[in-house]
Amino acid sequence: MSAVVSPIREPLITGSKTYHDITEDICGPTERAPGLLWTIAMALSVAGLATFAFSVFWTVYFGIGTWDLNRTIGWGWDITNFVWWIGIGHAGTLISAILLLFRQKWRTGVNRAAEAMTIFAVICAGQFPLIHMGRIWLAFFIFPYPNTRGPLWVNFNSPLLWDVFAISTYFTVSILFWYTGLVPDFATMRDRSTGMRRKIYNFLSFGWTGSAKHWQRFESLSLILAGLATPLVLSVHTIVSFDFATSVIPGWHTTIFPPYFVAGAIFSGFAMVLTLMLIARKVLHLEDYITLEHIESMNKVILLTGSIVGTAYLTELFISWYSGYIYEQFAFFNRALGPYWWSYFGMMACNVLSPQIFWFKKYRRSIFVTFFMSIFINIGMWFERFVIIATTLARDYLPSSWSYYVPTWVEIGIFVGSMGLFFVLFLLFTRVAPVVAIAEVKSILKTSGDQYKGKNAMPHHHAHDDHGHH
Amino acid sequence: MENQKLGIWVGTEDLNNDPAFALEAEKEFKHDPATADNKEVDISLESNRRDFLKYLGFGIGAATIAACDTPVRRAIPYVTKPDAIVPGVATYYASSFVKGGDYCPVLVKTREGRPIKIEGNSLSSITGGGTSARAQASVLELYDTARLRGPLAANAEGKFGKTTWADLDAAVKGKLNAGSQIRIVTNTILSPTTKQALSDFTAAYPNAKVVTYDPVSASALLQANEANFGVKAVPNYKFDKADVIVAFNCDFLGTWISPIEYAKGYAKNRTITSISGAKMSRHYQVEGHMSMTGSNADNRILVKPSEQGVAIAALLSALGGGGSARGLNDKAAAQIKAMAADLQAHRGHSIVVSGSNNKSEQIMINKINNLLGNYGNTISFTGASNQRQGIDKEVQDLIVEMNSGRVDALFVMGANPAFDIPNAAKFVEGAAQVGLKVSFAGLMDETTSLCNYIAPTNHFLESWGDVEPKKGYYSIIQPTINPLFDTREQEVSLLSWAGKNMGSSDQPYYEYIQQNWKNNIFSQQTSYATFQSFWDNVVHDGVFEAPAGAGASGFSDASVGAITQPIAGEGMEIAFYETVNMGAGNYATNPWLTEMPDPVTRTTWGNFLAVPVKWDGVRLFEGMNGLNTEEYRGKADIVSLDVKGMPQNVTVVKQFGLKEGTLALALGYGRSVVGEAGKDVGVNVYPWLTTDADGNTQYFASAATVSGAIAEDGLFPCVQYHHTMGVKGLDKKTGEEINADEAATVDDNILARMLGMQGFQGSLTQRSIIRQGDVKEIEKFASDLVHEREHHQKLNSYTLYPDRSELYGAGHHWGMYVDLNGCIGCGACQVACVAENNVPVVGKREVARHHEMTWMRIDRYYYGDYENPNVVYQPMMCQHCDNAPCENVCPVAATNHSSEGLNQMTYNRCIGTRYCANNCPYKVRRFNWLDYTTADLFPSNEFEINGEEIPFGADNLTRMVLNPDVTVRSRGVIEKCSFCVQRIQEGKLTAKRENRKLVDSDVRSACQTACPTGAISFGDMNNPDAPISQKMKSALAYKVLEEINVQSSVHYSAKITNKNEALS
Repeated sequence: MSAVVSPIREPLITGSKTYHDITEDICGPTERAPGLLWTIAMALSVAGLATFAFSVFWTVYFGIGTWDLNRTIGWGWDITNFVWWIGIGHAGTLISAILLLFRQKWRTGVNRAAEAMTIFAVICAGQFPLIHMGRIWLAFFIFPYPNTRGPLWVNFNSPLLWDVFAISTYFTVSILFWYTGLVPDFATMRDRSTGMRRKIYNFLSFGWTGSAKHWQRFESLSLILAGLATPLVLSVHTIVSFDFATSVIPGWHTTIFPPYFVAGAIFSGFAMVLTLMLIARKVLHLEDYITLEHIESMNKVILLTGSIVGTAYLTELFISWYSGYIYEQFAFFNRALGPYWWSYFGMMACNVLSPQIFWFKKYRRSIFVTFFMSIFINIGMWFERFVIIATTLARDYLPSSWSYYVPTWVEIGIFVGSMGLFFVLFLLFTRVAPVVAIAEVKSILKTSGDQYKGKNAMPHHHAHDDHGHH
Repeated sequence: MENQKLGIWVGTEDLNNDPAFALEAEKEFKHDPATADNKEVDISLESNRRDFLKYLGFGIGAATIAACDTPVRRAIPYVTKPDAIVPGVATYYASSFVKGGDYCPVLVKTREGRPIKIEGNSLSSITGGGTSARAQASVLELYDTARLRGPLAANAEGKFGKTTWADLDAAVKGKLNAGSQIRIVTNTILSPTTKQALSDFTAAYPNAKVVTYDPVSASALLQANEANFGVKAVPNYKFDKADVIVAFNCDFLGTWISPIEYAKGYAKNRTITSISGAKMSRHYQVEGHMSMTGSNADNRILVKPSEQGVAIAALLSALGGGGSARGLNDKAAAQIKAMAADLQAHRGHSIVVSGSNNKSEQIMINKINNLLGNYGNTISFTGASNQRQGIDKEVQDLIVEMNSGRVDALFVMGANPAFDIPNAAKFVEGAAQVGLKVSFAGLMDETTSLCNYIAPTNHFLESWGDVEPKKGYYSIIQPTINPLFDTREQEVSLLSWAGKNMGSSDQPYYEYIQQNWKNNIFSQQTSYATFQSFWDNVVHDGVFEAPAGAGASGFSDASVGAITQPIAGEGMEIAFYETVNMGAGNYATNPWLTEMPDPVTRTTWGNFLAVPVKWDGVRLFEGMNGLNTEEYRGKADIVSLDVKGMPQNVTVVKQFGLKEGTLALALGYGRSVVGEAGKDVGVNVYPWLTTDADGNTQYFASAATVSGAIAEDGLFPCVQYHHTMGVKGLDKKTGEEINADEAATVDDNILARMLGMQGFQGSLTQRSIIRQGDVKEIEKFASDLVHEREHHQKLNSYTLYPDRSELYGAGHHWGMYVDLNGCIGCGACQVACVAENNVPVVGKREVARHHEMTWMRIDRYYYGDYENPNVVYQPMMCQHCDNAPCENVCPVAATNHSSEGLNQMTYNRCIGTRYCANNCPYKVRRFNWLDYTTADLFPSNEFEINGEEIPFGADNLTRMVLNPDVTVRSRGVIEKCSFCVQRIQEGKLTAKRENRKLVDSDVRSACQTACPTGAISFGDMNNPDAPISQKMKSALAYKVLEEINVQSSVHYSAKITNKNEALS
């Protein structure tokens, strides 16, 4: 795991932590009664979840007609939310898989929470393709199960079917990856606990003893899963983008969508990781594990992906003009200057202009700026999906059918409620599992702990670092 | 004691029945295991664990079974099969649709004894099988839940209670005596036998008088013809013979007198059959608002409603008919001069008509037609029309008579004067003075509610009757179902009150009609020797035609009196017009019509104040006074409209082609006493109408004032926001002509202002959706179109799609061909489609949210000069693409392709992702957003639509209209045009049964049969001899959006105009 670390790199663990300190700091929050902030957050989230449940009930009971979608705009907030949530999930997979392969040590501070976020975001995202169906009780039709109707198969040409496979695979691999990482940490928690709690964690840790064989298998499995998950980072959102790219609708039918969607997904995912981690490090006192160095690294990724997304936006505009294809031209003209111009404007401002602030190191390392930027980007990326979906559908080929769309309370309730669902899951997660990967952080302590490197480092530790892990 | 009970024992103890053993044996199998051991158990605890489980199981089971209760709709099979009915096979009966002056000979399709669909009767030379939206929708009225279910009598408080026919007859008869002053108020009566019954009645009551008026009247036309020709009749207009047609504010294609007939003739002379030497008639429309007929015109000359008279005078004078015309706007005056020259060049081949209800203006029109030598050529009195007979003055005189107390009894026969005349309030006052008031209405209305007795008549589908729409043209009304309710033909009521013995047979009126035909009509023919064979044939065919003259003399000049004088100044004028769907208000309870979009404004469920549009030169088509700025977002303003000091609130719609300073509002809306479906629909404009010196109603008003927006209408049920395609206007900055609608598509916002964007490379106007050219350049136009299509087809040949020509090249490949030159926008096809395919009515709120379910719609686009644009109507339905984009996106393959090229929808498989609808370039797919049909899984989840207790059409009575061959769709599935697949199957079966090849006429789609102009053709594209294959080869044929390579199966033929450039 560890490799030689350049001495100019900032330490990733501060506070001269010992292995025991790390265990104490990270396991501690799950062993104490929840604080006031947690309780308030949980109450709000449960209220959100209730809103979600009620709005979904309303939709299923009365029909999709309780939304303001119409004959022209068949998808609105529903699929916007779906793509948004799926996109958010991508940061977790990127951090756990690609950064693992790239040996980025800073990932250890945030990967656990990011992976959890991925799983919860995919759970939220997965709700929407179901909810948006006119007849949800027949949702099982989308699976290719053996049947007596012919047999009647699903339509393998349909991108929606590809979605089914892409997302279920993604969810499975993400869960496995996350859980694999949790096994040694659960064992740590088991060792610290007694009674029922001990039994549960014992079960969850699969009898982990920390033997060398266990560690070796653990490392191998992590690597295999990282190898599996890496293409998923690229493929899942590529397939989601096929929902649009393979259609015939101008503004959807573009080949740029796969890379553009993947970049956008990572962009929004990192923004969401930041939003969550900035709060979590404060609330759970993890400042020594999620340092400014971590934040700066993530801001760099945001700057990169944001610029990719911005380039994609401009490329789209150029190509639509250059293609000479009038429907395409109109679609983009309409996005920018049609009745939904404000959403395009919001998207451009939040996604392209505002992240440019991260060219400055000062702002990259500013918690305040980072927090607001992360919110901006979440809003901007939501707008992006809204622009692509609703704005495009609102004015396509036949002007006679053009229309306009504003959501009803039900649609808003489902979206806001889905955040309730997400945060309920996330808050429960902070109570039952270590939010930072204990084992992984420990593995970099001697290469990135501030007592070993940086200006506070003790000489002894330096020597150890030089001759130690090879 | 030996155990001998069973003769079986286990061991000696058992055989001996040892007491100790018996005790043990008792214990071995406990009878009541819970209590056997524990006798002292608390008796209040009567149930134990097993009971609990039993109760739990029963409870859950019962609750589950109760919850699973799906609504049961019972169908009872025939025990004995009726003679004329084969279950599953439709039976057709010839009949006639008549309502006031509206007439359409029809075939009524019945299934298992229920009339479910109206088709045109192609044996009629008047309509040639065409229909109107009204005729198509009339079958729904039969099943109207608001129908009166039997005779009613009012009590002292005016509340109606049930009575019997015998009591009612006795009561009415008792109040009449031989000298009674009886007035029978009615709209145009087309039936000779009804007239016979009326004359029998007036013979019994010599002081009885029939008062005939029409709410939208041709009174002045009748009077003018009386003055010029000595006959009070509407002449026979032959639009097919006219090369130049001039209509002064006359909606002859939509609502005027006999629109189906006129549309048929009109289209005949406007269909392009060959490109070289193409010829078509030229149509000028002189009007202030955009009427449906005006929207089809080649040239429109804009005059204010008050300028109508001087415009006619200007034409008369330009043709050398003398007189002068002062007060006409300069532009119109010059245009009329140019038009006069064109008319002069087509003497004897032109028609000039006017919808004016001013006698002098109609006399001028007669003079013009006479000067042009049109009488005897394009206009004649042979086969003159009976379709308007009302004289407005008669009802005005009646009001005076009633108010002076000189009327003893008032019979209301199909008319509604308490609503549809300008001074309805006076009529209501007068009616209070009349002792006996009887109505024959089948539905409650404003006038009927004033009556003492209601003797409801049958619906026409339950009645015997006859019609003489034109002199010598007869048709039959025959019942297609037993009366649903305790109603009887109004003629039977009249005749029994006149003392005729009507009680002897089952169908007394049938015998009466036969008698009348025997006496008066049988003699008009020589083909049949016996009356019975004549009658049987007429009933079978539905029509009998023996054209006769109206007894008109030659043209004699008559003096021209006062004509409408233009009102000078800036005041607003307002035109009131009849729409194809609402009529004069008598179609108000028919939701098929209420939900049919108005052809021009594309609004439903109400009348909307049309305000003129002005181009601001930058990016706005401004509504007058800045109204409806955000109409494209579905936001409409409510204004207060004040005419004659009677303000009413009305919602605005922006309208192209309105003369500046002119407003327009449809009449017939705003019924107050009407069935649920007609309540709160629009505003009533009748009080704003005026009458002229002859007592003729004038359908416009001057000095109208419009307030600014006073509120926003939350429900704007307009189905088309974007109206234009290629409308030109002047740029404010450069003064150059630009594509105004391109600029107008830019939202007016900071970003757009900053960028100064004004449209984008023709991305709106160059779409291959509508094609329009002029007949003068038709050869170039056609070759350009052919070249463009070749280019598209070349691009399409580089396709990823597999070559399926082998699949689609064999067997049938269904296709449709729509001639845009033939489409006048009347909407008959749309209603026919609703009727044929069980398309649900969704109500105002849902239409306002664009949840309308129509499988077929008629898109309307303006093009050309923004102030006075031309219009293209484009019927749009599923294009049945061979590379259907909807099909490959459905995850569950619920929509797929048949081997006959049909894009078919499998409702049972649909899970409602709506991806197909999104991916449809034509946006023809419709989603069942809510439970519109009560066909849903849950019986209790109907979303309240328009405050109805159940959705429209969900009542068991209304459901009788459903076509059993078409599935009623439930909530959550997509539906769309199926090319009437049930008709295709029926056609194939017919051909197979007759052991022959299928021909195109075996399969005719519902829209095709409904069309009065024959604009829609349907057939097998693989059959090289089929008419559709021939038509597809036309150089004017094109496919909408051909370049996107969806390979649609619907061809359109370009819209060709015949504009007179001298007018622009």
